[in-house]
Amino acid sequence: MKQTINVSPVTRIEGHLGVKVETENGRVSSARVVGEMFRGFEQILRGRDPLDAQEITQRICGVCPVEHGIASITAQDSAYGVTPPDNGRIARNLVQVANFITSHVTHFYLLCGLDFVDLSQITAYQGRDSALVGLRDWAKSQLASVAVNPVGPFLPQFPAQLIRDPAVNIGVIKHYLDALEVRKIGHKLCAIFAGKMPHAATLVPGGVTEQVTALKITEFRAYLARLRTFVVESYLPDVVAVATAFPEYFEIGRGCGNFLSYGVFPESSGERSRFLPAGVLLSDRLQSVKVEAITEDVRYSWFSSATGRKPTEGETIADPNKSGAYSWLKAPRYDGQVVEVGPLARMLVAYHDGSRPGIKAAVDELLKSLGRQPKDLVSMMGRHAARALEARVLVDRCTEWVEQLVPNQPTSVEFRIPESGQGIGLTEAARGALGHWIEIRGRKISNYQCVVPTTWNCSPRDDRDRPGAMETALIGTPVADAKHPIEVARVIRSFDPCLACAVH
Amino acid sequence: MDSMNRRAFLQWSVRLTALMGLGAKAIPVMAESLTQLAHGAAPALWLQGQSCSGCSISLLNSEPLGPEQLLTQFLSLSFHQTLSGATGEAALEVVNRTIAQGGYFLIVEGSVPAGMPRACLFGEEVFSVQLARAARKAKAILCVGACAANGGIPGAEKNPTGAISVPAFLAQEGITTPRISIPGCPAHPDWVVGTLAHVLKFGLPPLDQLGQPKAFFARTIHEQCPRFSDYERENFALNYGADGCLFKLGCAGPITRADCTMRQWNGGVNHCIRAGAPCIGCAREGFASKASFPFHLTASPGRAEGRS
Repeated sequence: MKQTINVSPVTRIEGHLGVKVETENGRVSSARVVGEMFRGFEQILRGRDPLDAQEITQRICGVCPVEHGIASITAQDSAYGVTPPDNGRIARNLVQVANFITSHVTHFYLLCGLDFVDLSQITAYQGRDSALVGLRDWAKSQLASVAVNPVGPFLPQFPAQLIRDPAVNIGVIKHYLDALEVRKIGHKLCAIFAGKMPHAATLVPGGVTEQVTALKITEFRAYLARLRTFVVESYLPDVVAVATAFPEYFEIGRGCGNFLSYGVFPESSGERSRFLPAGVLLSDRLQSVKVEAITEDVRYSWFSSATGRKPTEGETIADPNKSGAYSWLKAPRYDGQVVEVGPLARMLVAYHDGSRPGIKAAVDELLKSLGRQPKDLVSMMGRHAARALEARVLVDRCTEWVEQLVPNQPTSVEFRIPESGQGIGLTEAARGALGHWIEIRGRKISNYQCVVPTTWNCSPRDDRDRPGAMETALIGTPVADAKHPIEVARVIRSFDPCLACAVH
Repeated sequence: MDSMNRRAFLQWSVRLTALMGLGAKAIPVMAESLTQLAHGAAPALWLQGQSCSGCSISLLNSEPLGPEQLLTQFLSLSFHQTLSGATGEAALEVVNRTIAQGGYFLIVEGSVPAGMPRACLFGEEVFSVQLARAARKAKAILCVGACAANGGIPGAEKNPTGAISVPAFLAQEGITTPRISIPGCPAHPDWVVGTLAHVLKFGLPPLDQLGQPKAFFARTIHEQCPRFSDYERENFALNYGADGCLFKLGCAGPITRADCTMRQWNGGVNHCIRAGAPCIGCAREGFASKASFPFHLTASPGRAEGRS
């Protein structure tokens, strides 16, 4: 029996997303992922001062502003021919890594937690934890009240099978509450060298404006220790517990099987020094990234501009009434292929790269504890596992970066904006590969294009009718109850979609 | 409310009351206003237009009144796109039920694509239609952040969607529900929480001509700047990272009314100017609107000259 299910709006992601799936005999047979919001950042940037770019592009997204800022100033570094001094490079890494970990924690608990935990169990809580007692009493008073949506915004949840073990369930709820505080600590870490969050103030071509002092290093260490404790003691164990409770999700949401990472966190001034390496995995074969292989199709997008363009010659002309189109996202392709980006892509590229034995060992250890094979990572649950593992790897590595800062040494170098030039800034956002392309003429921005993680993952069909990465991953997903398609929602959220980014 | 929360909340009330210049007598009243919210007396509905969610993320950074207390003890928030358990039809149902009941505080983040309504959808509904529906039934409207308050970057020149601020949209629609603008990119969490608390118990706070609470936006950044003495001594930074007043690097502090330098960000960890970054004027009305007003005035050594 065929059925159409419309999941719109998809909440607990960033932004405006709708997903339409067709099911046949209780499984998804096709999916359309719809980006529902457009602002036109690329047009707004044209004709502006190049130094406006890192401020404006950060405002593409309040969840990943740092990464847009880093992509923009990296593109400008290349256009101006400057390299930040070590302090500047490390400070940028620290701001970016703190936002990565904040984002990962936010994603698992605030965005996905309610897909796994049974919040109603809090009313039966008998323990003495003050936060949980407070939550219980509030939930009870809400349920007894005339509030228009009692226990909002957290309820209603889908009526579905959630975590059955009360101890695990209450544990994850407790960590949800902890995560609300921990993500604030993550943003304090960012703000030490970023000035403020969201929307970092200090990111400039040539480095950062903030200075390094012994006090700042000490503050950073102190907050980082608290973030690290949460990642090690709560986040990663909770992901393992959820993975153990829902083993079927290692078979669901598998996706296209192709992965792209631009690499992130340079550990020296050399291009190839990134802690998480760049690479493309096409059918399990690792290749180096060729920027010229990236194109964007728009046949199914609400844009009338030319299709199949490289970002260097890209255009963005809106046409909300375009016949046959169904999304505000373009359809980026790598060498014509559908690829997935994100923490899973980064962990798999590092796993296959061979130059990061520590990451490979960490992946193998996690898989062993879960009783899984590397191929199982390519799944809904594998995305969560890879994200949590990445947080664990990064929280350890950045502890070493802090110690490499040298007080009172410069954090930036001077630069000169050329009459004309171009630059590419490739980095990674928490949710995947992020590229900015800047072209300068007459010392103004003449073209600016962003190809953003969720544009890859939530892409609509391309000119050859091939569905995007999430559309592919949804195919085969079992749907037990068409009125409450929690399985579809779980697969969607495993990608950590960020729609403001994707359309910009 | 357990004793820990009660204490944290009273401390916060004291600080807030002092900041808003209300005096000690207002403390218990302020506390009551927040307690009232917790019991569903004043439900809130949060909608997002052309936004980046940055103001939502910023509100989650609130302290010492943390997000847990905000969400469970002091706000009765029926729906928020980024936090709501409900998805799809259930989400639409919650929003529509809230609107049908009316009497809520409507919090809006993001601009309205007045020139291209289909540039922002919620479910199958065009956002501007949803917003007009929700605004008519609201008790008051908080326009949170640069986009909602002033149009922000989506409303900057050359924008293709005809994006406008929420007050401009309400005026177009002839909707007269009281509204308050809280600018900033993003809005500081204290500005949102402080304004909401005031509205509940004392009604509309004193507002300036832009509809912004005077408590937060009466004085310029420049007047309250830790580098003000550098300005007076004409000690200007000409390069990033240098000591001195950031005026010649393009600092918009002299024309931006907000209290960031005093309040600081992320629980007092830092703020833009303290971190050597010129104020980009994210709380001013014309923020980002013109290419002819670049954020930074240094692009090459020797180019720095300050705003004329």
